[in-house]
Amino acid sequence: MDLLLSPQLLFSALVLGSTYALVALGLNLVYGTMRLLNIAHGDLIMVGAYAAFWFFTLSGLSPIIGLPLIALICAGLGLILYFAIFRHQLENVHPVERIEANSLLLFFAVSVIVQNVVALSFSGSPRAYRHLDEVYYLLGVSMTGNRIAALVVAVTLLSAVVLFLNRSHYGLSISALIQNKTAAKIVGINVSKIQILSFTIGFAIAGVAGALISMTEQISPFMGFPFTIVAFVVIILGGLGNIKGGIAAGLLLGFVEIYVVVLTSANFRSILIYGLFVGVLLLRPQGLFGKTRAS
Amino acid sequence: MTALNGILKDRVLLIFLTSLVLTVFVPDLFGSYWAIVALNLMMWVSLTQSWTLFSGMTGYISLGHVVFYGIGAYVVASTFKVLPLWVSIPLGGVVAGVLALLVAIPVLRVRGPYFVILTFGLAELVKYIVLNVETSIGKSSRLLFGAPTIETLLYIMIGLAVIATLMTKLVSQSRFGRGLSAIRDDEITAETVGVPVVKYKITAFTLSAVIPGMVGGVIALKSTYFEVLQVFNPVISFTVVTMAIIGGSGDVRGPFMGAAFLLLLSELFWATIPQIYMILVGLFLIVFVVFAPNGIAAILWPARSRDSQ
Repeated sequence: MDLLLSPQLLFSALVLGSTYALVALGLNLVYGTMRLLNIAHGDLIMVGAYAAFWFFTLSGLSPIIGLPLIALICAGLGLILYFAIFRHQLENVHPVERIEANSLLLFFAVSVIVQNVVALSFSGSPRAYRHLDEVYYLLGVSMTGNRIAALVVAVTLLSAVVLFLNRSHYGLSISALIQNKTAAKIVGINVSKIQILSFTIGFAIAGVAGALISMTEQISPFMGFPFTIVAFVVIILGGLGNIKGGIAAGLLLGFVEIYVVVLTSANFRSILIYGLFVGVLLLRPQGLFGKTRAS
Repeated sequence: MTALNGILKDRVLLIFLTSLVLTVFVPDLFGSYWAIVALNLMMWVSLTQSWTLFSGMTGYISLGHVVFYGIGAYVVASTFKVLPLWVSIPLGGVVAGVLALLVAIPVLRVRGPYFVILTFGLAELVKYIVLNVETSIGKSSRLLFGAPTIETLLYIMIGLAVIATLMTKLVSQSRFGRGLSAIRDDEITAETVGVPVVKYKITAFTLSAVIPGMVGGVIALKSTYFEVLQVFNPVISFTVVTMAIIGGSGDVRGPFMGAAFLLLLSELFWATIPQIYMILVGLFLIVFVVFAPNGIAAILWPARSRDSQ
């Protein structure tokens, strides 16, 4: 019992959970507004991680300071993909199920291409760098600087996105589009403009998540896939397209994972993730916090 | 039986099947390297053909096809030297079919994007369960000494490719197959006009699992060892889907074209720069999804593939 209440575990769970929430947020925006199933999401995280790695290694630029630049790189990649491939799909393909199926295949192709371009350019071997790894003690919890930084950035960004969606004009348009595309069009929202916006924001957030992850973990061209899976587990738990549900589910998954691994063994991590994934899809496909939404 | 008569009269199909069967001469004519290439080709033809039987016809894209292949491999590897191969390989198919039947009822209630990611998640879940079972009994991998020769395995695989092709053809021409196409076009309408939607989906899903179950067993014998992460590798599912899309799933020759095309690319690039091969696969997949969603088969034989749609 002492073990379970230890602030050390609580801190680990909080760091992991907020990372998961951030990882899933970008995916949720892209799916929610456009019904595009981005299975290359983890690879954007990888791109963000590599950008952070190279900025730091080549110029000593701290990933935290470099975040806007990294976000910009991934947003740019998003813009290129949007105009090269996905705009055509969104405008010309009907019905929406067909867009979903096609987007899955297209993003799979993008995933394979991005992974292998990175592997070809920077070799497939894992890399890591040391930054902010001094240990601090607070309330009996030992924490490294990079984990604290990751937690602070993730929580700030999550709150900023929620505020943006609830308060700003563009944010409200995105929320409207997630709720009902036809109605959003009727009330005068410029759907394609908002779609481009969500697409690039989704990609930028993935880049930031990648930069944060690169501070604490090894990176490699093929690191993305597990994050894609985590992102899907989270947004399904929270309900596809439900932004706040997704954030709550990300935190929840972080806690569940840390505690299950502590109580059993690390071998069960994958069974847990996929078990939850399959279980929720079968029993509550609308998500833990979801209402059934009209499609 | 009318369907069988139709098959016998179908000259295109007979020529196609004959050319599959002619692959038996590859080892004698071209040597063992090409025998392995032929074996791989037949493996992908069987897998892709069986995938189109369910996913091609109903439009329910499955990203978990590898699970049946992996289970088949597991059955053959774990009963190796206990059961004779003529029992264990078909048993792999049966077990895969039973697994499909068991999961079909809950899984097929789920539609659209949920179905796609569910099939993937389920395959991964089974992979990690098998992995934990193997680890807990202390077998991280199994060596299969004394497996049949490549030639023998090639003959079995050609047989499986022919059966998979015939099955898909028979189903697509039957009332059952037309029911499945109706589900793809509009499931609710299909149900309204009296297609037994649930029964058809479950049957097709189960049928499509049997061939990969047997293929997995044969491939375990070919590689002479069994390793969980390898036979349940999700890349296999993705490759199957890519082959079906590039080849086209509206014509029985489509899966063959897709498999042959990717194998050709792989022969050209894999040994030298595997990344280039993967990048090309990605690019071709994008080109086909955007510009030629019905695949190579629809480009080569436009009229026919429209008929069989």
